[in-house]
Amino acid sequence: MTRCDGCGECVDICPSDIMHIDKTYRRAYNIEPNFCWECYSCVKACPQHAIDVRGYAEFAPMGHSVRVLREEEKHTISWKIKFRNGQEKNFVSPIRTTEWGSIKSPSDYEAPSPDALKAQELAHEPESLHIDALPTLPVQKN
Amino acid sequence: MGLFSGRKTVHVDSDILVIGGGMAGCGATYESRYWGRDLKIVCVEKANIERSGAVAQGLYAINCYMGMQWDENQPEDHVRYARNDLMGLVREDLGYDIARHVDSTVHKFEEWGLPIMKDPETGQYLREGKWQIMIHGESYKPIVAEAARKAATKVYNRIMVTHLLMDKTKPNRVAGAVGFNVRTGDFYVFRAKAVIVGAGGASHIFKPRSAGEGMGRTWYAPWSSASAYALPIQVGAKMMQMENRIVLTRFKDGYGPVGAYFLHLKTYTENAYGDEYESKWYENTKELVGDYIDRHPVPTCLRNHAILEEIKAGRGPIRMVTKEAFKDPHLETVGWENFLGMTIGQAVVWASQNIDPKHTNPELTTSEPYVMGSHATCSGAWASGPEDCAPADYQWGYNRMMTVDGLFGAGDTIGGTAHKFSSGSFAEGRIAAKAAVNYVNDLGSDQPRVSEQEYQDLEKVVFQPMENYRVGRNEIVAGTVSPSYLLPIQGLQRLEKIMDEYVGGISSHYTTNEPLLTRGLELLGMLKEDMAHIGAEDLHQLQRTWELQHRVLASESVAHHTMFRKETRWPGYYYRGDHMKLDDDDWHCFTLSQYDQESGKWELEKAPVHHIID
Amino acid sequence: MQTYIVVMILMVVGGTLFETLHKGSAKYFFDNWRKSKSKGSQQVGAGKLVSLAIQTGLADVLTSAEFCTARRRIAHLMTMYGFVVYVATTAIMVFGYPTPDSPTPAFLPQLWWLGGLLVCIGGYWFWFFIRVDVSAEGNSPFRIVRADLFILSLLASVTAGLIWAYLQARGSSMTDVFLGLYLIATTVLFGSVPWSKFSHMFFKPAAAFEKRVSDANGSRSNLPEPADKPKLYGSTRELPRHY
Repeated sequence: MTRCDGCGECVDICPSDIMHIDKTYRRAYNIEPNFCWECYSCVKACPQHAIDVRGYAEFAPMGHSVRVLREEEKHTISWKIKFRNGQEKNFVSPIRTTEWGSIKSPSDYEAPSPDALKAQELAHEPESLHIDALPTLPVQKN
Repeated sequence: MGLFSGRKTVHVDSDILVIGGGMAGCGATYESRYWGRDLKIVCVEKANIERSGAVAQGLYAINCYMGMQWDENQPEDHVRYARNDLMGLVREDLGYDIARHVDSTVHKFEEWGLPIMKDPETGQYLREGKWQIMIHGESYKPIVAEAARKAATKVYNRIMVTHLLMDKTKPNRVAGAVGFNVRTGDFYVFRAKAVIVGAGGASHIFKPRSAGEGMGRTWYAPWSSASAYALPIQVGAKMMQMENRIVLTRFKDGYGPVGAYFLHLKTYTENAYGDEYESKWYENTKELVGDYIDRHPVPTCLRNHAILEEIKAGRGPIRMVTKEAFKDPHLETVGWENFLGMTIGQAVVWASQNIDPKHTNPELTTSEPYVMGSHATCSGAWASGPEDCAPADYQWGYNRMMTVDGLFGAGDTIGGTAHKFSSGSFAEGRIAAKAAVNYVNDLGSDQPRVSEQEYQDLEKVVFQPMENYRVGRNEIVAGTVSPSYLLPIQGLQRLEKIMDEYVGGISSHYTTNEPLLTRGLELLGMLKEDMAHIGAEDLHQLQRTWELQHRVLASESVAHHTMFRKETRWPGYYYRGDHMKLDDDDWHCFTLSQYDQESGKWELEKAPVHHIID
Repeated sequence: MQTYIVVMILMVVGGTLFETLHKGSAKYFFDNWRKSKSKGSQQVGAGKLVSLAIQTGLADVLTSAEFCTARRRIAHLMTMYGFVVYVATTAIMVFGYPTPDSPTPAFLPQLWWLGGLLVCIGGYWFWFFIRVDVSAEGNSPFRIVRADLFILSLLASVTAGLIWAYLQARGSSMTDVFLGLYLIATTVLFGSVPWSKFSHMFFKPAAAFEKRVSDANGSRSNLPEPADKPKLYGSTRELPRHY
């Protein structure tokens, strides 16, 4: 509880709108665990690592731990799983291969011609298909 | 909220309004900008686009990739696959259209920074299965959201769209939408020339297996509140195949994914006694569906059917045999990371119950039903197809435009397009966007206009639940029991019970019939009337209220469609107890429905299934 | 005046002790400490403990390092140091120069004013703009809940005190009114310790220290180790206010 310093990252990120601020401590908590998907968005977003997940009480016995360290600057995500019986598993994976913020805006590409607008090809096609042309079917006679 | 203000009305004008910032919505936003350099592109999202939608926790595989560059598959092959899996009933033109574009979408994802696993020998994407490739997708959504943010004029987060607005100058044409800001409580009026709906499908319309705290662990995201359906249904767009709900066989309680297990780890299932069981039910299944059981691969619903029969015969639970596969450390890593990158809750369940697949074969279960359009199922709006290959009666306007002018859809919203998954939904968003840009350009001076009266009336409707609570609260001392209002959770639980008991949920072994459906519709009717009396304590509860409203409308549609199709087309998804067999003579067709908001009436009809691919 | 200050100090001490004993927060802290020690993969020697304590003091306490955004950190530093200077100069003036016979050196009231103003700038900035329930959750800044007891009584006390000092210097007839308000607000501030967030200013350094120790002993609160990869890519963290 004391690790939370009320920064609001979890409130801002939660896809379910269930991370909210407690009225006594001005810190974050899960107001509706029965609408929590255990997506860990809040856990990953918390700069203090103050959030941990306890599996749904309805079917998850106590004493387990699944904790995560998402390191944006290293492009990695690390997991530590601890079983109720103490067994431990660790995993590390990459999360991205390019710099954050590096995606080229569609406006930065050369503007398409009016003909292209009427054709079936989407943006960057056919080049980004890595084949010569967009496939099509002969028109059916119904 | 401002320093001194009460609720404001905020007007947002755009050329293209994208409702929903998930995979489909992000695809639509990106592509709209490419073709509409000077257009105002607005994306509005109920949560935060960075992690919203079904891909919030990430994905470990992209399940729709042809691999045309390596001659792995052609789009026609995918159509055959989806058609086969859905027992013959898919929109082949729409499916072909997605399949031919999806590769370029996946290549852009890689370019943007999504780590795609490669085969160390060939350098090609590492295949999980014929259609699936493996990714390290924990940040799949943030990457895709970045692309959308770069493209949009503005992204509005934390605004729930509750209703579409119609053009007051021309009938049957969309003109925008209304919604409210979940943080500030401001009312938003969106005026747009074209609207692309990329909202979520329906979780939580049938009672889930875990109904307490575990209610949150649905297979599909709990925030998929059927807005993809309710928004178009309300304004009279035709819907298709809403009866085609999906039931998933997944790991027990956590609903963790089994795809990588079957395809990459090559695990298989057995009953409680360690025996193979699927072949035992071959004859039984053949009696129900005829030759469909002989197709390869066996359709998803039929595999479910075998499991359900085996369990009913008393030989459950069904387990996934993992002990062999998990001896290989690489496969063990894949088995766990499969969850961590996609359904962390399953790792939590196994850690909590000391389940190590090296030593235990974990339990599987069949889920409660879901209604959505991007997986092994295809409920959704009836949409116009691609100009170059759609049959004439599947084409009445722009690609992915529904039967309401200017109203486009992508992802879960669009029906008939099974097996598109995340990449296909993004691709479909792109398809819809290009069409929407053309539509907007073609409008010229004939622009839709919203009715001030309409949105002012809607403002009252949108916030009425808060007024219900505020006033009704005076009647009781405290607590959750009020004679004059229902809390959103109470309404949701009532809906889920009705659907479960009458429309083929888990408690009835997914079986329903006409008497049950009739009674179910009566009860849904009363629930719908009670929806005027939902009491929302705060803005969060108001969001829950409108999620419930959308779910109720979608559920009504599901019930009507289920009643209309007098056959059991997808045993394993659901059964019509009064029409247990598949009936290709009468029912090799789509079911279409149209709702009239004024009269509250539903019209259902059949539409032919055109097979444009052999 | 001197008695009053002693009573205030006793209320803070008493309130904090009550908080830790009655609510069990001390027991929780020490249980947690023991658990972390037993789960740790390595021992942390006495010398290392001292060094970690010093690091906690320097970084977390003196520079409010835990705050992850610049504006939160700056506002907290202003409020914290402002309060320390303000309280210290109050005590020095009341105990060191209590009567007109021992005139106060000019720099002390100046520091007192500086401290008070820092509290007000940092505090009001926090109250109207930075508070998470206002900035991230969208509540009105005029919505008051129990968590606001500390900051509001602090701001009321310092504001009333500054106004009182200003009016007293000008010989205004309203001086006593504001002295009264000042005393009420100050009593509330120090007397409400068992019910407000006041005692958390002592818990925070303890938790920060405990965190450093658990990182050092390998238990890390069950968190994974940082990945063995270079920090090549920036982060795109923005203010958590996307609505």
